[in-house]
Amino acid sequence: MKRFWAQAGRITLRDLLIEGRAGEGLAIILPFGVLALLVIPLATDASATLLSNLAAPIFWLITLVFGIQIAFRQSAAETATQRRMLTMLGLDPVARFVGRSLSSGIILLIFLLVLFPIMLALFQPEVEVGLLRVLPDTLLYVSGLAMLGTLIGDISSGLRNRTALAPLLSAPLAIPLVMGASQAMLGSGQEDGILTWTILLGLSNLLIAVVSVLTARTLEEAAL
Amino acid sequence: MIRKFLSIFSNPRNLIPIIATVAVVSGLVAALLSPPDLRMGNLVKIMYPHVASAWLAFVAFIVTGVGSAGWLISRRMHFDHTAVASAEIGVMFTAIAVLTGMIWGQPIWGTPWHWGDARLTSTAVMFFVYVGYLALRRATTDPYIRARRSSVLGIIAVVQVPIVYFSVTLWRTLHQGFTVRPDGINLSGSMVFTLFFNVAAFSLLYIALSSARTRLAAREAEVYQEEGQTAGSVVTAPSLEAGR
Repeated sequence: MKRFWAQAGRITLRDLLIEGRAGEGLAIILPFGVLALLVIPLATDASATLLSNLAAPIFWLITLVFGIQIAFRQSAAETATQRRMLTMLGLDPVARFVGRSLSSGIILLIFLLVLFPIMLALFQPEVEVGLLRVLPDTLLYVSGLAMLGTLIGDISSGLRNRTALAPLLSAPLAIPLVMGASQAMLGSGQEDGILTWTILLGLSNLLIAVVSVLTARTLEEAAL
Repeated sequence: MIRKFLSIFSNPRNLIPIIATVAVVSGLVAALLSPPDLRMGNLVKIMYPHVASAWLAFVAFIVTGVGSAGWLISRRMHFDHTAVASAEIGVMFTAIAVLTGMIWGQPIWGTPWHWGDARLTSTAVMFFVYVGYLALRRATTDPYIRARRSSVLGIIAVVQVPIVYFSVTLWRTLHQGFTVRPDGINLSGSMVFTLFFNVAAFSLLYIALSSARTRLAAREAEVYQEEGQTAGSVVTAPSLEAGR
């Protein structure tokens, strides 16, 4: 078990190191996400009421679209040769999945933390956001999207049309995550509970994790 | 000519498609002749192909999920062929279910698409999940690698089926609840017969289409095996026997 986590940790560190050097997620995709937040008000004639009502759904939609981009960033894609080498070194496919999901999750969390105050400033949402109450749902959203992105990335690895195909595969499957996170944010400042949405996010995470762990070896073979 | 025509019926492989076609046409005629509803009038007639298409889509996607799991467990290509055949049929009938639902929704709700209808929205999402499944299959040429990749997606995607089916109870929705319930059926006698006849006819059509597509998928795999040889594999040592 200790070896498993050591392997997962090394994969995470390697991915973060590559991200630090390439800066694809935080130096390219993040500014693009901020730009999208600026473009939407211009496209809607900067109607303050409309923007204030749509703030939470737009925020989660942008995190979904750009989160998928983060998960499928080119700098995180491994070639068949690299994967073969890691397999020959005895890397557990599940540890690889966990490591890659963790690194994507960390980058996605930073993305969200930067985007959230910008959204608050630009859209001034009407609803009160209970930050502490919405935190577990946000973490579940991030982990779910990171795991889904890693899984779909593995399914589509090595394909020539991967960049076009992967978003089509992951966006419909990520809908429960977006719904859960968005509704939890909308309900976090109110008296009503957000437990239903937390359960939805938790179940989605569980399902993705179970499928990913059970099929990690099969997908590893497909990528070699 | 007549003998040639009759020979079609003598082949057992042709019997199911012929029976299915006759059954579907009869079902649609029965739908047109069925009595109007008290509130919806003749608009209720669209319910028969709509419900039957939705039912067929559910069955097809469940079979895709089972086929995908079967491939992952046994690695037998037959499971993969069954999965793809069912997925293609499922996508086609999901599109028909959504379209007939929209046509039905226009006069009943006053709009073809209502976001308050969880069933319609979740069905559309399910449609795109399986469009992605088929796109993934098209992206890979090697049948074995294709089966590996798509079987994983086939298992994740099947989760959509219970979500769509129970969407009428999980969310507040405009869509009517379950017509067939443990405590009885919410329809009159002739309408029940027409509905079940259409469901049975569409099920027969599914069997006919999926068996034909499964055979085609197996043939495609054979052609790949024959044509997909490595460069130089056709060059063999000269045979001394050939010249004699």
